[in-house]
Amino acid sequence: MSEVGKNLPHDSAVGHVTGASVYIDDMPPAHNELLVDVFYSPVSHGIIESLDLTKARSISGVVAIFTYKDLDGKKRLGPIIQDEVLLVEKVCEFMGHPIAVIAAENRKALKKAKAAINCKIKELEPVLSIDAAKAKNQFLATNKRLKRGDAEKAFSQAENILEGKIISAGQDHFYFESQAAIAYPGEHNQIVVHSSTQSPSEVQHSVAHFLGLQQNQVVCITKRVGGGFGGKECQATHFAIMASLVALKTKRPARIILDKDTDMQITGKRHPFETNYKVAFTAEGLITGLKVNLYADGGAFHDLSLAVISKCLLHVDNAYYIPDLEFIGNICKTNYPPTTAFRGFGSPQGVLAIENIIEDIAHFLNKDAYEIRKLNCYGIEERNITPYGQTIENNTLARLFNELFQSSKYSERKKQIEEFNTKSQTHLKGISLMPVKFGVSFSQTTLNQASALVNIYTDGSIQVSTGATEIGQGVNTHIKQLVADEFDILANKVIVMPTSTEKNNNISATAASSATDLNGSAAVEACRKIKERLVACASEYFASQNKSSFSPENIVFKDGRIIDNRYSKNCEISFEELVQIAFTKRISLGERGFYATPKLQFNWESGPEKIGQGQPYSYFTNGCAVAEVLIDKFTGATLVSQVDILMDIGNPINPGIARGQIVGAYIQGMGWVTTEELKYDEKGMLLSHSPTTYKIPNIQDLPHAFTVAWIDNENLANIKGSKAIGEPPLLLGISVWTAIKHALSFISKEKTIDLKLPATNEEILMFISRHGLKEQESKAIKEQAVVSTGQN
Amino acid sequence: MRNYLVLCINGKEFHVKGEDAFLPLSTFLRYGQKACGTKVVCEEGDCGACSIILGKVDNTGENISYKAVNSCIQYMYQLDLAHVITIEGLKPNKSNVLNLVQKAMVDCHGAQCGYCTPGFVTTLCNLLDEKSKLSEIEIKDGLTGNLCRCTGYESIIKAGLSLDNSSSQFSLNKLFPDKSILEKLTSYKNDDVQLEFENKIFFSTCDLKQAVKFRAEHNDAIVIAGGTDVCVNMNKRSYEPKSLLSLARIKELSQIKQSSNILEIGANVTLTEIEKTVKELLPQWYDNLILFGSPQIRNAGTLVGNIANASPISDNIPLLSVLDAIIEVVGPSGTRQININNFYKGYKKLDLASHELITKVLLPLPDTSDTLKLYKVSKRKHMDISTFTAAILLKRKNNKIELAKLAYGGVGPVVYRLAKTEAYLLGKDFSLSLFEQAGDIAVSEITPISDVRGSLVFRNLLAKNILLKFYHECADERELVCQK
Repeated sequence: MSEVGKNLPHDSAVGHVTGASVYIDDMPPAHNELLVDVFYSPVSHGIIESLDLTKARSISGVVAIFTYKDLDGKKRLGPIIQDEVLLVEKVCEFMGHPIAVIAAENRKALKKAKAAINCKIKELEPVLSIDAAKAKNQFLATNKRLKRGDAEKAFSQAENILEGKIISAGQDHFYFESQAAIAYPGEHNQIVVHSSTQSPSEVQHSVAHFLGLQQNQVVCITKRVGGGFGGKECQATHFAIMASLVALKTKRPARIILDKDTDMQITGKRHPFETNYKVAFTAEGLITGLKVNLYADGGAFHDLSLAVISKCLLHVDNAYYIPDLEFIGNICKTNYPPTTAFRGFGSPQGVLAIENIIEDIAHFLNKDAYEIRKLNCYGIEERNITPYGQTIENNTLARLFNELFQSSKYSERKKQIEEFNTKSQTHLKGISLMPVKFGVSFSQTTLNQASALVNIYTDGSIQVSTGATEIGQGVNTHIKQLVADEFDILANKVIVMPTSTEKNNNISATAASSATDLNGSAAVEACRKIKERLVACASEYFASQNKSSFSPENIVFKDGRIIDNRYSKNCEISFEELVQIAFTKRISLGERGFYATPKLQFNWESGPEKIGQGQPYSYFTNGCAVAEVLIDKFTGATLVSQVDILMDIGNPINPGIARGQIVGAYIQGMGWVTTEELKYDEKGMLLSHSPTTYKIPNIQDLPHAFTVAWIDNENLANIKGSKAIGEPPLLLGISVWTAIKHALSFISKEKTIDLKLPATNEEILMFISRHGLKEQESKAIKEQAVVSTGQN
Repeated sequence: MRNYLVLCINGKEFHVKGEDAFLPLSTFLRYGQKACGTKVVCEEGDCGACSIILGKVDNTGENISYKAVNSCIQYMYQLDLAHVITIEGLKPNKSNVLNLVQKAMVDCHGAQCGYCTPGFVTTLCNLLDEKSKLSEIEIKDGLTGNLCRCTGYESIIKAGLSLDNSSSQFSLNKLFPDKSILEKLTSYKNDDVQLEFENKIFFSTCDLKQAVKFRAEHNDAIVIAGGTDVCVNMNKRSYEPKSLLSLARIKELSQIKQSSNILEIGANVTLTEIEKTVKELLPQWYDNLILFGSPQIRNAGTLVGNIANASPISDNIPLLSVLDAIIEVVGPSGTRQININNFYKGYKKLDLASHELITKVLLPLPDTSDTLKLYKVSKRKHMDISTFTAAILLKRKNNKIELAKLAYGGVGPVVYRLAKTEAYLLGKDFSLSLFEQAGDIAVSEITPISDVRGSLVFRNLLAKNILLKFYHECADERELVCQK
């Protein structure tokens, strides 16, 4: 009766559906509590000439206004490189750059104070595009590189060469709960801060260091996060610091909650990218050499950009073996809010690059893109080494390709689409089957560690605390199931407690899809230590009752009971009874578990060429999706008519949660590639800063036919044979974009199909208008001819 | 004259005045009542997280009719004599922890981070109260106004499909018997209400004459009905009207009726009510209304409000324009009728005096032989503000165009009737080349701009293309036209 593998509801589900779940702003106001807001830069780039707070401070209800001068500790922030100026000292580096922190008794006073701050800023010319940053040679950190063989040589011997460029825009996380924190001052300058963060330890140490405290003076607690998607991996920290600053200085609890518009305007997004490529390939479409130069818009400060560009480079290969290659990743410094983690973490843009190339090759050769993909797919025994030297084990890619190709009736449908496109005066259809191979583990090896605390109480109920934050993804439910499974008791005996830096120290962010892998493994480790003691205790007890001889190796946990398997009938007690006995015998019923992912090592500075080499990933989560789209030629409106997904996710710990992750991530990816458009004015102000203008997928945008399945494939490299699932399906959302490219290939007059991402109705209609409405007929007829010749 | 509001929240009676009466309902609930189950995200009615069920006494006065609305853009003063049901009120009887909808959402993994979930649950409860089994289309149409960033919606649809309320296990009337609510509210139903706080004043009456009087005495008064535009401006653009007038309780303005070929729509008629009426009568409008805002918006918003808001990207005005709808207004010296095509004098400028009120719209229905098509282009098909809208009405006899009326929105400060294009089409044979040429004329008649919803070039392209789309949709080669 294992609880692992069961479709149990999310551990917060009942609270969610009754409105009883508590988020930051649902916490009742404490006596004397202050409200906090940010006064921020109204320009993308400028120098503060004067800042007069006198009038604002005099407003009734305003308690304090703080600037960088009030920060007693460090003044720079950053998870990797500490370069981000939290509160502007002189230069405003982006629109929304915080300048002052206002604390007031009520919202009205906050609003008045914000308006009364007199800040004179001399505007400087902002850098607002990747091109502008390149022109000014403005980069963050140095570039990173992957290299194998000799791409130049491959080009010189190539049968075909294509060169092109792919531009992808950013994406707003659009978590529903905006950035929020409440800080409570304690004795001896201690602070307890409740933060809607994916990274409680980062909040803890940042608060401490900014306020001149030791880390042990700060506790960060995260009960749950109302949506994160990477947006609260390190950008929740800023607001937690602000609340803590107010709490420490005023000795009053302090609450900061951003409204949606402010949140969208001042926080960082997914990295926009511009990627140039040059690819060599045979007449069949086999890639022989590839050079890719990626430019990411990092915004004003480093934030996580170095890690993002790393993950991006490590995913440009996606599912394909490329013999000779060079991939270079650059981060441009611009005057936008620092771009940050977002589900996929650079990998979507890396995969987009190669999938765009594949579509272009198919178009150029007038071949089926699926055939090109299969031809280039990683092999099982050969052609199975990634550009960074990791051998792909347990490779399921070819199997996924074949099975989905069959089950989705790809070739029949493709043929129908070609016929349709020849006939239809009004619409275009397209189809694309694309894979994903997603490396699981933090690319930065250090982060692959976690701890857990398991406490069993005398009634046999259990509390677990880990470093994982519950962001809706169901990590608590997973951990609950894993712990219950260890003792073979029911999951409802286990509660996963709020994440707190008091219980688990030096926590890695809930990120990289690895929260369950790491924290679940640590929890299981803790359980096993307790179990060892309980086994001895049980055996001793049975022996003392003259029911058996002492033999711990014969003790088993089964269905909530503990049995000596030699005499199962008479020799058993309940879990609760055993716990009582253990307590009486003064045996510890609590334990801490620790986990560090084995075998990982990676270095971006390998060898004389200083290239990335090693084994960054524990394993790969794989999948394929086939998307079909229907485009209105007169309006550019796109309908996703069918999507079929087939994945290799190992043995899921909870199939219902796994499915929810797959669908949710896919739709989020689909949003990125279609309707989610960040529009800025010429001064760098975000215009689409609320759901009225920023369009995430709606319930009506769900593909009209939609199937999700996974293959049977136990993953020996991870806990209970499972695989991480949070991010990989997001990348499959790119299939909608490649399907649009396929549709547009029927009217394209060019060698490559230059389509920007997102492919909004406007982007598509502009493409159609460039290429004319009538051109598709000739190409479709040509394709038809090819097909019929094949049949004859 | 009453100087306080009377309403029920989850069955409990509240008398509200002063500052509280001028708050958004969501603020009153969350910070006033500490009922934090209702979540607020966008504060502009575009995400549905704050959805609650709003009960209003129906025209018979004997029942309460419930509709989901966004509580962030319902201000308290709009809620006199209403019954508000929040997520906290949707608890089933004592023996169960969860109601049918809640149980289905739990079992189907309908919630992940949970922030949007109370809004989905309340909206689904409202749907299930109206219909015991829901189809996939009904679920999607019913939940268009609720965004979710985590689930991708599949699990929520599954939860909706699993619901079976044929035994009326779930019923709002059982949770809160109409009688018990009406008992609390009835004695107040004829009062005039005047609320004041600081320099703001709100007035509501059952008597049109009183309303006209108030409007004449308060030249700056704005009329608030569903508030789906006004309240967004108050939340987002620091709009603070000094005096507000509600006509919601004036019964004569709450009617929608058809006499011969005229559809008469009163100022209080919501878009949802129109939706029901025109489903058979004018299906083109119905199909277009389904794309207008969300159910929550249509449940609150009125057609007259949409007309008065005068947005050039209103989804309804192009239709009203090609049908030559008549706007009826009333002032101290009586009533006056204006053709909608003469009503807009510039961007958000109306032919309406500061002492006049819009009371109704008279809509001449098209002949069954007419071809009428409505178009809405937006970045996202559902729940999005239009980039471009069009209404095209054509009378044809033996392939000859006998009458053409075209109205475009989103291409200038007001919705345009395209007089030159209409004249060009008149008397000519219906052909592709005609519509290709008409497109060029149409473009010459419009003055689009580039904004967050689309560029000038895009809008010009649409202005041309929509005529081609129209042609193809009308053309006989049906098999070449893909409907979906």
